[in-house]
Amino acid sequence: MNMKQRRRRRQVIMILAPVSVIISALLGIMIGAVPIALPDIWHALTSPVQSPTDTIVFDLRLPRVLIGLLTGACLAVSGAILQGVMRNPLADPGVIGVSSGAGLAAVITMVILPQFSYLLPAAAFAGAFISSIIIYFLSWDRGASPVKIVLAGIALNALLGAVMNGIMVMYSDRIQSVLPWLSGGLNGRSWHHLSFMLPYALVGLIVSILAIKPANLLLLGDNSAKLLGQKVELQRLLLILLSSLLAGTAVSVAGLIGFVGLVVPHAVRLLIGDDYRYLLPVSMLGGAALVTLADTAARTVFDPVELPVGILLACLGAPFFLYLLKNRSNWR
Amino acid sequence: MTAAETNNLTLERGMFKLMNVNAVIPKGKMTAIIGPNGSGKSTLLSLMTGLSDADEGTVTIQGKPLDNYSRSEFARVVSMLPQSKEQMPNITVKEFIEYGRAPYQPFFKQRLSEEDQRIVDWAMRTMRILRHEDRMFHTLSGGEQQKVRIAMALAQRTDLLLLDEPTTYLDIAHQLEVLDALTVLNRQKSTTIVMVLHDLQQAAAYCDHLIAMKDGEIHSAGSPKDILTRQLLREVYEVEAKVSFEGHYPIIIPKRKTIEEETTMLIVTNTSQIVKGSGEKLIERFDRIGQVERMEGFLGLEVLFTQNISEYDEVSIVTRWTSREAFQGWTKSEAFRESHQHRKTPDYILNNKITFQEVRIKRNPITDEDNAQIADTETA
Repeated sequence: MNMKQRRRRRQVIMILAPVSVIISALLGIMIGAVPIALPDIWHALTSPVQSPTDTIVFDLRLPRVLIGLLTGACLAVSGAILQGVMRNPLADPGVIGVSSGAGLAAVITMVILPQFSYLLPAAAFAGAFISSIIIYFLSWDRGASPVKIVLAGIALNALLGAVMNGIMVMYSDRIQSVLPWLSGGLNGRSWHHLSFMLPYALVGLIVSILAIKPANLLLLGDNSAKLLGQKVELQRLLLILLSSLLAGTAVSVAGLIGFVGLVVPHAVRLLIGDDYRYLLPVSMLGGAALVTLADTAARTVFDPVELPVGILLACLGAPFFLYLLKNRSNWR
Repeated sequence: MTAAETNNLTLERGMFKLMNVNAVIPKGKMTAIIGPNGSGKSTLLSLMTGLSDADEGTVTIQGKPLDNYSRSEFARVVSMLPQSKEQMPNITVKEFIEYGRAPYQPFFKQRLSEEDQRIVDWAMRTMRILRHEDRMFHTLSGGEQQKVRIAMALAQRTDLLLLDEPTTYLDIAHQLEVLDALTVLNRQKSTTIVMVLHDLQQAAAYCDHLIAMKDGEIHSAGSPKDILTRQLLREVYEVEAKVSFEGHYPIIIPKRKTIEEETTMLIVTNTSQIVKGSGEKLIERFDRIGQVERMEGFLGLEVLFTQNISEYDEVSIVTRWTSREAFQGWTKSEAFRESHQHRKTPDYILNNKITFQEVRIKRNPITDEDNAQIADTETA
C-alpha cells in the first residue's frame, strides 16, 4: 500500500468514525420496544411539551445512549494507552485485572461505605490504578511480556473476584442495590448516572489527547524515548494513571465490561497503524459506537429478555483475544 | 578540547564490572570504541548518555556534568543509536525520523515547524533514504532500517552522536554507506562521532581516535596507527595476528590459534614364546587370521620375530588401534571368530601373553615455519 492510499484510507476513517458514532447513537434512541422515528427525536429534544414518546427518548434512551458512548470511549482509550505503556498487545483493562480492581473498589464503596457512594468513580479509579501498578511490576521486563501479563492478570482477576464474592456473601443483605451494576450493563442507567461519570470521563478523554505524543514515543522503546528527551518513568506513571481513570470511570457506571479496550484499538491498528495521532481519536469514537450499538442489540435482539451488554461484548471480544494471543504474541 | 570525558567511571553488576574508566572523546573527531564482546563498550555508552547510572565516577559532556542536564536539554546535545533490540511501531520512515525532533517540541505537540521539516529532509538526504520516506519502516531491509534509525538520531541535530554497533548485521555495502555518511556528517557539521565497532579495519580507516577496552577497563587509547598493533590484538582479543598499514587502512592477518590436537592410541602386543625353529609356522598361521586391516579404528600392524634368545624363540604381533573400543570391535567381529574357531592352540606355542598399552599423542598443527614468519614481521 503506498502513501497516497494510506493517507486516503486514514482520511476516510477519520470521517467515518464520527459518522458511526452519530448513527449508532440515533439507532440506540430509535430502536426498542417502542420504535421511535427520527423526527420524534428532534421533537423530544426541542419541544417543551412532553409527550409519552418524548419521555421515552429523554428519560430512558438518551441518557443510556450517552452513557454507552462515554463508557465505550473510556474503555477503548484506556486499552489503547495501556497497550502502548505496557508495550503489549494483550493489555486490556478487563483482561489484566484493572477493571476488577475498579470493581472491587466500587463494591466496597457501595456495600460497606454507602455513605460515600458519590465518590464511586474516584474509588473505582483508585482501585484500577492499584491493579495497574501491581500488574506493571509483576510483568515488566523491558516491556511487559505477553505471557506474564496474561498470567498475572488471571491471578489478579481471580484474587479480586474472590474478595468481591466474599464481601457480597458477608453483606448479602445489602447487595440488592449492587446487583444490576455487577452484571455489567447499561440497564436502567439514567441522567443521575451520567452526571456522576461525566466530569471524570471528560477529564480523562481530554487529557488523553495530551498523551498522544508520549504514547507514540514510548512505542520506540524506553531507551529511545529517553534519548529523545522524554522522562520515561514519569510519563509511564502518568499514562497508567490516565488509563486507570478512564477504566475506573467506565466501571463505576457500567460495571465489568471486558474486551472493548482490546478489540477496538486493535481493529483500528489493523486499519491505520500504530500512530497514536490517529489511533487514539479513532479508538475513542470507535469504542463509543461499538458499546452503544452492542447495547442496542443486547436489549432488543432477545426481546423481551434484556442481555447485559458485557455478555455480548465478551462473545465478540474473547475470540478476538484468542486470535491475538495466537498470532501476535511476538509483538514486542 | 574534549566533547566528553568520563572520570573514574565504575559500575558493578554481578559478574560484569566497569573499573575506573577515564575516557576522553576529542571534539569534532570520529572515535571508535573497540574491544571484545562483554568488555564494557555498550555499557560505557549507556553511562555516557545517562541510560544507566554509574556506581561511582562522573561524566562530563561539553564541559558540563551529565547530572546538570535535563533529559530534553541533553537530547539536544547528544543523540545515540542504541543497539536495535526493540520492536518498532508500524509507521512510515518519515514519521519515524520526525520523532528525532521531539526534544525541540513542547511535550504534547507533535506537529513539525518548517525548520523541523527542513532538518528531517536533511537527515534523510544525509543517510540517502529520501526515496524511502513514505515506505513503512518494517518493509525495509535491515540495512535500510539501520540508516533510518541513524537518520532519526541525526534529526536531533546534536553536536555529539554516539552509535552502538551501527554496522553490525549489515552487508559490506551498507556498512561502508553508513560509515561514509557519518564521515560526511563529521566533516560538514563537525559533529563529534563515537561508535562501537567490531571491525578493526573499518575502525582504523574511518576514525581519528581509538579507545580499546578489555574486561571493563580502557586498555589503551590513541590514533589508529599507535593503537592497532600486534600487541593490542594479543592483549585485548587474545589473537595472534600480523598487522600492517596500507595508507590509513590496516591489514590484519590473524594466525589460527594454536590448538593442540590430542588423540589416544591403543597398542596391543601379543607375544608368544614358541619352540625353537617353529616361527615360520606361526607366522604362516597368522596370515590366515583374517581381515584385521579392514576393521574400523585399525592403525597398523607389525610382526617381530626374535630367534636364539635362549631355549625358545619369540614372536610378537603388535596391532595399533585408535581406541580400546576399536580393538574390542575386532575381537567381536565375524572374521575374528571364524579364524579362532575350531582351532586348538598348536603345541609349539609354549607361552602366550597379551599386553595393552594406551598412548596419548599431542600434535601441534602450526609448524615452526609459521612462527618464524611472524617473528620476522615483528622485527621488521
